[in-house]
Amino acid sequence: MDNQSTEERQRHHPSPSKQPKASPVPVDTNSVTQRLQKELMALMMSGDLGVSAFPKSESIFTWIGLIEGGKGTMYEGLTYKLSSQFPLDYPFKPPQVKFETMCFHPNIDQFGNICLDILQDKWSAAYDCRTILLSIQSLLGEPNIESPLNSSAASLWSNQEEKWYTNSMLLEKHVRADTKTQGLLS
Amino acid sequence: MQNHDEIPVEPETESTAFNMDFEADDDWSNYKDSDVMQQQSAIFEQDAAKFPFVGDKEPLSSLEAEYESGSPILLQKIKVLGKEFGAIRRTRGDGNCFFRSFMFSYLEHILESQDQAEVERVKTNVEKCRKTLQDLGYADFTFEDFFSLFLEQLESVLQGNDASISHDELVLRSRDQSVSDYVVMFFRFVTSGEIRKRSEFFEPFILGLSNTTVEQFCKTSVEPMGEESDHVHITALCDALGVAIRVVYLDRSSCDKDGGVSVNHHDFVPTPSDGATAGTVCDLDLFGWVQTAKQEGE
Repeated sequence: MDNQSTEERQRHHPSPSKQPKASPVPVDTNSVTQRLQKELMALMMSGDLGVSAFPKSESIFTWIGLIEGGKGTMYEGLTYKLSSQFPLDYPFKPPQVKFETMCFHPNIDQFGNICLDILQDKWSAAYDCRTILLSIQSLLGEPNIESPLNSSAASLWSNQEEKWYTNSMLLEKHVRADTKTQGLLS
Repeated sequence: MQNHDEIPVEPETESTAFNMDFEADDDWSNYKDSDVMQQQSAIFEQDAAKFPFVGDKEPLSSLEAEYESGSPILLQKIKVLGKEFGAIRRTRGDGNCFFRSFMFSYLEHILESQDQAEVERVKTNVEKCRKTLQDLGYADFTFEDFFSLFLEQLESVLQGNDASISHDELVLRSRDQSVSDYVVMFFRFVTSGEIRKRSEFFEPFILGLSNTTVEQFCKTSVEPMGEESDHVHITALCDALGVAIRVVYLDRSSCDKDGGVSVNHHDFVPTPSDGATAGTVCDLDLFGWVQTAKQEGE
């Protein structure tokens, strides 16, 4: 807020051809630009390991991001490139985020589309580019098997976890049996 | 599904997802999330064209006309409401209606009362909400635009300065998406901050509503636009800003009082937390109850 003047000087005007589909209502692109600049600054200052992003060209509405697979996950050691297109009515609408690198994952399809609720109906202005990238990073290690975009990846993932899954179910049954006995005794 | 018109659409015409006809044997996996979202926003836009965020004043008789062939108890209740309220305004049912009607009613109250002390009091509470969000770890840039826009509206309804606005202008602004949506987001942030700050208090109510954690509830049912408000939201907003709210329910339940029909309502009265503005809140006369008439769906 205080350094508004500095930001105004640094303001980039997106070329009309590169702008996302026009929104039906007139929006203040100025405030969107300012917000995106603040998000960029916060992302660069955060020092988060394994996620980064930067505007692709002179337009601040298109970003290219990089995500490294989380430590201890099957994606460790792999880096993925993503693209992010911000709408003119951002942050009321989510950015369109896609994997540019092929990624074999239950919630990512062959075109790089991502199935993640915060990028769809559960989007809110409380998210920003940094939290989106971090969410996608954790999605890599913790897929949502219930709504797969890539069903073969989903079934492989389930099979790999089968052993662990059976063990945990046995454990849960033991715990339940215990509580039942205690309930009878008291 | 909901397509009544049998318009044959060639598979190539993708221009407007809204017109896409889904055939029974169609593979649903052909439709991506983005298509569904595009269709949904197209539907919202159609509705938007039909009705403003905040409608004009209407006499209660217009509500009566609507229920003429409906349940007699509703008609009786509308009569009772007519004794208490001179007129109604409808709001667009897009999931943000509570926040939009609260915005209008509250600002209209300030505009009519010119209550400087109330403005100062609310501004103090708004600053506390800002602090709450910062303490919860929200990045300033995610909410500051919404805060400043609300404070701007609050200042502008006070008369006597360059930015002062008339009642007509307030109505226009309440219908302007670039103002109304910002204020809705401001309220959503304030509500979410209050719920998370007092998560122990809200937890049992949230468990009863959605069986999720407090944080999950805020992320999925408070912060996103279009998520409807429930008692939890209203309680939190009322407490955070220290503004009392009355919700009148127009439903078919019979609530006879001494032989006559009465309309049940719920009063949300702020319970000041942290001793914040306790003194002033207690002094606050229960002004401008937000008159949100919740109509029954069917």
